[in-house]
Amino acid sequence: MEEKKIEVKMKRKWGMAVDLDKCTGCGKCSVACNQENNMPIFEDDSDVPKRVAFLELMKVTNDRDAKFPDVKTAYLPKMCQQCEGNDSGKHKAEPPCVSVCPAVATDVGDDGVVSQVWSRCIGCRYCQTACPYEARAFNWWKPEYDGSFKKSLNTDVSVASRGTIVKCTFCSHIWKRERDKAAAKGILDINEVFYTPACVGTCPTGAMVFGDLNDPNSEVSKLANSDRAMRLTNVIDDVKDAEKKKALLNKKQFPNPKVYYLTSQSWLRDMMRFKKNS
Amino acid sequence: MKKIERKDFLKLGGGAVLGGLSGWVFSGAPFLGFQWLAEWTQDQYVPVKGFEKYAQAVSDSCPAGCKVSVRMIGERAVKIESKEGVCPSCQNALQLTYHPERISTPLKRKGDKGDGKFVPVSWDEAIKEISAKMNSLIAEGKANSIAAINKNESLNGQMMEKLIRSAGSNNVYYEPSLKSLTSSALGGYIKYDFKNTDYVLSFGAKLVEGWDSSSDMQKVFTDWKAKGTKIVQADTVCSMTASLAAEWVPVKPGTEAVLAFGIANYLITGKRLNSSGEEFGKWSQLIINKFPLAKVASYTGVSEDRIKKIGDDFSKAKNPVAVAGKGAYGVSASSAEIIAVYCLNTLVKSSSATLMKNSAVSYTSEFAGLDSFIKSGNFSMLFLNNSDPVYKSVLGEDLKKKMEKAFVVSINPIMNDSANYADIILPSLSFLETATPENQAVVVNFKESKDAKEIIIALSKAVDKTKNTFAFSNGIDSFKISGKESASGARFSFNVDKIKSEFDALDKKFAGNAEYPLFMIPVEAPLVGDGDGLAFPYVLKSIDPTVFYREKLLVQINRETGKKYGLSEDESIVIKSERGKLSKVYVHLTDTVAPDTVAIPLGFGHESYTVYGSEKGVNPKKIMAADVDPLTGTADWWSTRVKIS
Repeated sequence: MEEKKIEVKMKRKWGMAVDLDKCTGCGKCSVACNQENNMPIFEDDSDVPKRVAFLELMKVTNDRDAKFPDVKTAYLPKMCQQCEGNDSGKHKAEPPCVSVCPAVATDVGDDGVVSQVWSRCIGCRYCQTACPYEARAFNWWKPEYDGSFKKSLNTDVSVASRGTIVKCTFCSHIWKRERDKAAAKGILDINEVFYTPACVGTCPTGAMVFGDLNDPNSEVSKLANSDRAMRLTNVIDDVKDAEKKKALLNKKQFPNPKVYYLTSQSWLRDMMRFKKNS
Repeated sequence: MKKIERKDFLKLGGGAVLGGLSGWVFSGAPFLGFQWLAEWTQDQYVPVKGFEKYAQAVSDSCPAGCKVSVRMIGERAVKIESKEGVCPSCQNALQLTYHPERISTPLKRKGDKGDGKFVPVSWDEAIKEISAKMNSLIAEGKANSIAAINKNESLNGQMMEKLIRSAGSNNVYYEPSLKSLTSSALGGYIKYDFKNTDYVLSFGAKLVEGWDSSSDMQKVFTDWKAKGTKIVQADTVCSMTASLAAEWVPVKPGTEAVLAFGIANYLITGKRLNSSGEEFGKWSQLIINKFPLAKVASYTGVSEDRIKKIGDDFSKAKNPVAVAGKGAYGVSASSAEIIAVYCLNTLVKSSSATLMKNSAVSYTSEFAGLDSFIKSGNFSMLFLNNSDPVYKSVLGEDLKKKMEKAFVVSINPIMNDSANYADIILPSLSFLETATPENQAVVVNFKESKDAKEIIIALSKAVDKTKNTFAFSNGIDSFKISGKESASGARFSFNVDKIKSEFDALDKKFAGNAEYPLFMIPVEAPLVGDGDGLAFPYVLKSIDPTVFYREKLLVQINRETGKKYGLSEDESIVIKSERGKLSKVYVHLTDTVAPDTVAIPLGFGHESYTVYGSEKGVNPKKIMAADVDPLTGTADWWSTRVKIS
């Protein structure tokens, strides 16, 4: 009996769009992420340097430049920006963290998800230094789950050990879970399978949208291409001249993230670019 | 005997070392050593595997009745998901259900009150002791000295109300909420029809941060965004609602009510708008005479022209609605404010604000509200139904003293500041452990803890007078008696004479005070709210470092004000009010708050709210204004005159 081989070419490139004009800062994405990804529980998690979390609910204001009452506040849920990098000729397109990892603990898949395998990590923290978004956390202490808190742990995400780097993986274990479910139903084409990360699934205002950036008709693609979309401190996005942009991309590496933030508030756009006067 | 050469000696020695080494290697000892090293550095807990399934649950402990889908691995609940949105306490239900400090058996106080020393007792013993006390009080004719404080109007709150009333007491209170406060001020709580409104005028109500029902409001906000509903927010801090609103009207701290008077004044005198109801005439005379626009402008810092402009926009909108209530979870208790804002709705004949009542919750008790009860009430026996008035009320210290003299029963799943002063603690469940008519319980009861509804039924059966209060013994049957909502029919009929003195108090408060030149107002961090969230570590994980950071509670002060007082970032200050002082607070200079304002986060400074929630920051309620409003019976603590040093 000859086994039938199924050739499936990956079509997907997962990406996210976060509409900051719709975000109310309720923090549900943060709780959902912590619960889904078995975040360690310390007695005082307000101790930020010690805190291990994949999603940071950043409170941002323009109070440095503006005076009361011309100020604004926003919450910016910041997770791993899932960089793509760019092919500069000398160097292939890779996220900044992947090229520095000596242990292949972090890699980028054909679905665009930048993975992190904690059990492979040797704790050199090169990736944490390379990450432009401070999206990676280091387990300085052994992740603890006091007593019965252990009962709420998710089996799909392994508990990290001390001395390893952890980060958001777009909840790619949920994609695996969904693929397994589909396969059990006889659907073997992975491109048929969709999933929603925990943070997006819990967003009550629909500010977070997740989907396939390769599909021009997906909601996330439309949002990513809208005028309100921008990416966190990805300087190449500011270069409007196509020729200059091409030349720069051939010379330099840029993070090129797959998380898009949408806002029409100019102060917030400036803040995300670390620039004034857009 | 052959003499051993030096060379042979070295060979032999070398051989012995080699042999020893190879023996050690083959013994496996070094490998074991590596294993230990690996275990020491890599010992990971492996979550217990099991089959995945989804279970449905409806919350019976929050007033919104959140519907959730729970991801189960075997018998363990591992994730709360919801398509319809959940409130923060329901989203944290996993960390409550599996909290390592859950109370596992009924507890009886051993040491002095407040010591936190308890010994386990059996359910029978506990119920017997409580019912004996109740029976003797009823027999002595002191039934009215049995009191209860409910956390909210959920089913077990309604049942507690029923039990206490059938015991012959009129002392049932709810922790102040938008519903309870508006009911006492207006004769009904307001049901807003936000779907059909096109102009929302909010007087500091933190509409998107948790005001009223957080899960509903998130949906309403999405709907407003899609439809382009105009939100106008009067606020002292740049809250999320202010930031997302089309228009932010910055007001001086605590003057939202005055702004509402000003707008009403303009609508009545300038636009000739009128409202019906027997007390309207009296009310309008009061605000017209006492709050002319010029005075309103000076108190609020909003110009007369802008007040007129807001009045014009508000009255010209197709279906405008004005909203009061201020906080996300903490609520402003000023009846003058609630009435003033409701008055605006009646002036423009808004169809989006209807007064409602609940058949099982009366909100009328011996005293007008919880704080007037704490201040002037006397009780021999007090039930705390999941409530934490010691922490949440500004009169918490007074309540402590009264609780020391009374027999206190607390029904709650984890320890809190009030339960620490109880004589008996009865452990109740999280909503994941309770069954509803639609669904079975998601996880089994934690040890000996029981459903609060069943605890209340068991108590009623054990007391002679209340034996027949409930015709069933099962918690699930109690859903049959759940209160129904209907229009209250109340009109502009509140007692204006009763709050006349409040107007003078407002004058006194805002006219200037050399000794206490600043105002302290509360702000609330996401998920923390007014303190319920702090026992849950995943809430602590989300706190922004500009709010609370490594044991330091930061208060927000405007840069200009900071310069005036020579404050620098992260500096420790002492805040003093007429009621006392707060030390161990630190400065965060930011222009997101109005000048001459100290914005202090609520929800911190618990005394005994598990290891995660206790001893973190300070509780500002301790020094906040404690003037009890005559209609709501609740202290109006929203703005407090303070000085800093």
